[in-house]
Amino acid sequence: MTDLPVGGAAPDASLPATLAPRAGVRAMWRRPSARRYAFGYTLLAPAVLYVGLLVGLPFLFSLYLAMSDASVGEPIARFVGLENFKAALESPTFYVALRNSLVFTIGAGIMKSLLGTTLAFLLVQPFKGRKVVRALIVIPFTLPIAVSVLGWKWMFDSQFSVINWALSQLHLIGGYGSASWPVWLGQPTLALFSVMFVNVWRGFPFGAIVLLAGLTSIPPEIVDAARVDGASFLARFRKVIVPMIAPILFIGAAFDTVFTLSDLSIVYLLTNGGPDGSTEILPTLAYEVGIRAGALGRGAAISLFLFPLLLPAIIILLRTLRRRQY
Amino acid sequence: MMSDSPTVPSGGVNRRDFLRVSGASVAGGTLLDMLAARRAPAQIKGTTLRIIMWSHFVPAYDVWLDDWSQQWGKANGVNVRLDHIPQLELPARYAAEFAAGTGHDLIYFQGQILTAQYYKNLVDISDVADKIGKKFGGWIDSAPQLAQVQGVWYAIPDFYISIPMLWRKDLFNSVGMSDPKTWDDFRKAARLLKPKGHPTGMQFSHCNDANHNWRALMYCFGVKETDPSGQQIAIDSKEMREALQFAKAMYDEGMTAEVYSWDDASDNRYLASGVACWIHDAISAFRTTEDTNPDVFKNTYMLPEAAGPSGLRKNVADANVYAIWKFAKNAAAAKEYLLALNDQYTAGMTASRGYNMPFLKDHYKKPMPVLGADAKLSVLQDQLGITAFFGYPGPITPAAQEVQSTFVIPDVFTRVARGASIEDSMKWAVGEYQRIYAKHKA
Repeated sequence: MTDLPVGGAAPDASLPATLAPRAGVRAMWRRPSARRYAFGYTLLAPAVLYVGLLVGLPFLFSLYLAMSDASVGEPIARFVGLENFKAALESPTFYVALRNSLVFTIGAGIMKSLLGTTLAFLLVQPFKGRKVVRALIVIPFTLPIAVSVLGWKWMFDSQFSVINWALSQLHLIGGYGSASWPVWLGQPTLALFSVMFVNVWRGFPFGAIVLLAGLTSIPPEIVDAARVDGASFLARFRKVIVPMIAPILFIGAAFDTVFTLSDLSIVYLLTNGGPDGSTEILPTLAYEVGIRAGALGRGAAISLFLFPLLLPAIIILLRTLRRRQY
Repeated sequence: MMSDSPTVPSGGVNRRDFLRVSGASVAGGTLLDMLAARRAPAQIKGTTLRIIMWSHFVPAYDVWLDDWSQQWGKANGVNVRLDHIPQLELPARYAAEFAAGTGHDLIYFQGQILTAQYYKNLVDISDVADKIGKKFGGWIDSAPQLAQVQGVWYAIPDFYISIPMLWRKDLFNSVGMSDPKTWDDFRKAARLLKPKGHPTGMQFSHCNDANHNWRALMYCFGVKETDPSGQQIAIDSKEMREALQFAKAMYDEGMTAEVYSWDDASDNRYLASGVACWIHDAISAFRTTEDTNPDVFKNTYMLPEAAGPSGLRKNVADANVYAIWKFAKNAAAAKEYLLALNDQYTAGMTASRGYNMPFLKDHYKKPMPVLGADAKLSVLQDQLGITAFFGYPGPITPAAQEVQSTFVIPDVFTRVARGASIEDSMKWAVGEYQRIYAKHKA
């Protein structure tokens, strides 16, 4: 079978005008490469459709809302250009929420990396009951978020905090009502720390499991060879383990960044952004303005500020990942 | 093996059983009689009425309402489906129903009154409001603020939750005080009782109670958030500065830092635990204390609201209203349901254990159900005339709603309590009001 020249055969001049293009299509379809492409795209179509419908369309709808004066009670919205973004930038609360979002994401990300890595190295060691411990460790991640956060709310309660009670019993702080009794969700720094802590508690087992999956996929002889060559633990980790599991680490980091930056539940349930906005983050502010106050356009604009924050991080991660693959 | 028929004790029917059975029969009979008295039009027969509402803080009320709704449905040939969801989820649910153009027929705004936001998509129910108003002596003065837009009724007020002062008589007496009446009295009590381990507390946090409580103080000090039309901001005033100054002093003298972390239930626990000398909260706190700490409950008394420096009393209540979507498939049945439900005030008030304060003037005739029979609760019968809502004296416009949703008032009080200057804090708060109101005017 001979491949036709690129661009297909020239239409037969003897054919009627309406039949000429159909003949061209038929000729093109006879090419194996065209059929291969068609087959490939057909297989890809469900995934493209899925991403387009569930990610692309909502994103475009958010863009439309952010550039309109849409509100919950108005059936018709007017195009307002970048007015909603301007309105967000004029609000002092927005900058507080932006700062808190960055502190929340970066701080929690660092803590989760450290704890997740430590836990993964502990779990990769052989010990009795390792399977049980591995199963137990994912409990925070698998519990419904509302249930676990409400549990923490009780533990951080200003009056009945079990944490404070334990610290008081150990004489590390005074009794209830004393100046040293911490009000976890009431003091601005402690409140931000507390919401980050719950995010870390919930998220670091996921990091550990991701890392553990990577660690178990490394052939032990490679690590042993490095050890024989005199590489210290840190050198083995940095020069052997990390490069080998980098793709998994990057994907894990990307997921975690997205989930943390857009995490509404923990702050909403613990502090609702208070006191005085000290735990306000972009998702909670967007919810307050967009849903509770009904200004959908301005709420969507606030939430879209997450996009330029996330996009560079994801691009850098994916580019690094691609470079490592080729 | 269990028998299907109820077992009769061998010793015969005792007095308690007899009263229970006969009481239930009488109550059931009365309810059926009442339902029969108001027959709905035949065209709603065979239809379905879908209602969405919150889960009441008093679960017994939901049991009663569900039961009554089913009985009303049976009597009128309407299949009633009543969905209860947590009140914080209601606004998101309405946004979704509105966007989809389908959902429940009868909807319920709790706390966040969204009448002004959705009125273009709500049925004009002035006919229902007029009928109910005429029947029960008219609506209280603050009702239109919640239910009307440009003079048209788009909602029917159901009830409001009073948020009175709950104070400990034994503790007040221990410092030589009795019968407190003013905010100054309560501040003084907190100042004297905090060193004895009994501070007070009002939420300086992002919760609904913080929005209510600080507004009550503001309004008692003569603060107006807007003009009566709800269009012009009026918060930048001498009265607001005085209210902030008072709150700062009351915090320093009589509260602890706990209040910065409180949610809506924290003050309930504070009272029930025996720590608080007084709190400013709904009667759910009173009921919780009754159930969990009888000793404290014995000494807990109530005042509808403390008076401000000029004797003004304004209690910022939590409102509940019904509305009907324009896209509702069964608006006719929804209207009939509302008319019939408003005839059930006494039963509803009783089921709510005195929680559901009425919007209709006739229902304030003494003795009111539950309240009139309780020496401590009876003071709430004088609530008429002091009830105000968010945005006072204006209506709850979308702008007022956004001020509430973004916690501007709790935050300005928090800033001052934490030590920021009143002028700086006012500048911030007024800026937020101006920015929000300007957006809604644009």
